[in-house]
Amino acid sequence: MRSIVYYVREFLRPEWIRKFFFAKTAPLETPSYFKGYPALTGNECTACLSCMMICPAPNAIAVLRTRDGWEPEIYPGHCIRCGLCVEACPEGVLSSGRILDVTRRDGTAFWSWYHLQVDDNLCMRCGNCCVSCPVNREIDPQLAGSGTSASDEVIMRVEGGRVRILHEEKCTGCKTCETQCPNRAIRVARMVEGVQIGEAET
Amino acid sequence: MSILQKIKNTVRSRSIHVSYVDVGSCNGCDIEVLACLAPRYDIEQYGIYVHNNPREADVLLVIGSVTPQWVDKLREIWDKIPEPKVAVAIGNCPISGCVYARRGTLTSPPVEKYIPIAAQVPGCPPRPTEILNAILSVAPLIFKDYEEKQP
Ligand code: SF4
Ligand code: SF4
Ligand code: SF4
Ligand code: SF4
Repeated sequence: MRSIVYYVREFLRPEWIRKFFFAKTAPLETPSYFKGYPALTGNECTACLSCMMICPAPNAIAVLRTRDGWEPEIYPGHCIRCGLCVEACPEGVLSSGRILDVTRRDGTAFWSWYHLQVDDNLCMRCGNCCVSCPVNREIDPQLAGSGTSASDEVIMRVEGGRVRILHEEKCTGCKTCETQCPNRAIRVARMVEGVQIGEAET
Repeated sequence: MSILQKIKNTVRSRSIHVSYVDVGSCNGCDIEVLACLAPRYDIEQYGIYVHNNPREADVLLVIGSVTPQWVDKLREIWDKIPEPKVAVAIGNCPISGCVYARRGTLTSPPVEKYIPIAAQVPGCPPRPTEILNAILSVAPLIFKDYEEKQP
């Protein structure tokens, strides 16, 4: 009996009645830290294409030529708002939510290189890849037509009947070797790793 | 404007019935639609009700980048909804196919190819607030004075 009286009293409180009929949840606001579509910060884009290369969604970002320079454009409906392009851009052209602040605070960055791989079963040792590589030609102008080279500084050369990769780190990712290979034996892959630069180094 | 139309407008503005269909997505958008029902966003305070029965629905939320099995069924669901009706595409999938828009995948976006879409909510997934705003802004456009707009 006591509890019934208590409940009736409780439900008759004007405050309770007001809340019951007119309560609204918080208005539909987007918090400031929401990671929306990346927006331009106004920094100059150098058309390095890091943003396009790291983007996981098809057709989400394109670096377009404008009247005075380059500018990345994000396409809603394709972009998944992952923010990777914001993190990958070395110039800070894009911004989204707190990403730029957090990467600056933590000193994180993406480190990328190109990985070369030759499938020995497909390769016929023609040497096209070694000869066509513009970096190779720069290092060793005497590079033979068969892909052999006396220089140890070239990216790759034909050696001992197979293509040997010596200096992967010099590759610029132009993929000339891939397009010149008649057998699709050589593959160029862009590898990305997240790194944290220590406080002392920054 | 007739009295009857006025009554209909008032009722329709506070009673929007929603049905949703996932035609092949990762389920992320379904979870955001579900979040709209939860107290944090509380979709019912805006007079929107989710029944998930196309015959009762006014608004159809389409999620996902149409897989072959859904092509005819999606059309069937759309035909079952009584007029006036409106379809809203939720997420990137029905717009572009999102991450499934690659060679060799069994999807054929966009969903516009199969049923008329009145509004699109891009995002992967969109925020619940974006979904709510889309429903709230597209519903009056279609439902207000519906009978009078008919030729
Ligand atoms: S936010 Fe992610 S999906 Fe969108 S453009 Fe940038 S990298 Fe691509
Ligand atoms: S936006 Fe940044 S990452 Fe993309 S091309 Fe320009 S400078 Fe490079
Ligand atoms: S990708 Fe370009 S730079 Fe790298 S090995 Fe091939 S040809 Fe040389
Ligand atoms: S071009 Fe291709 S087949 Fe010729 S040596 Fe290079 S990897 Fe082998």
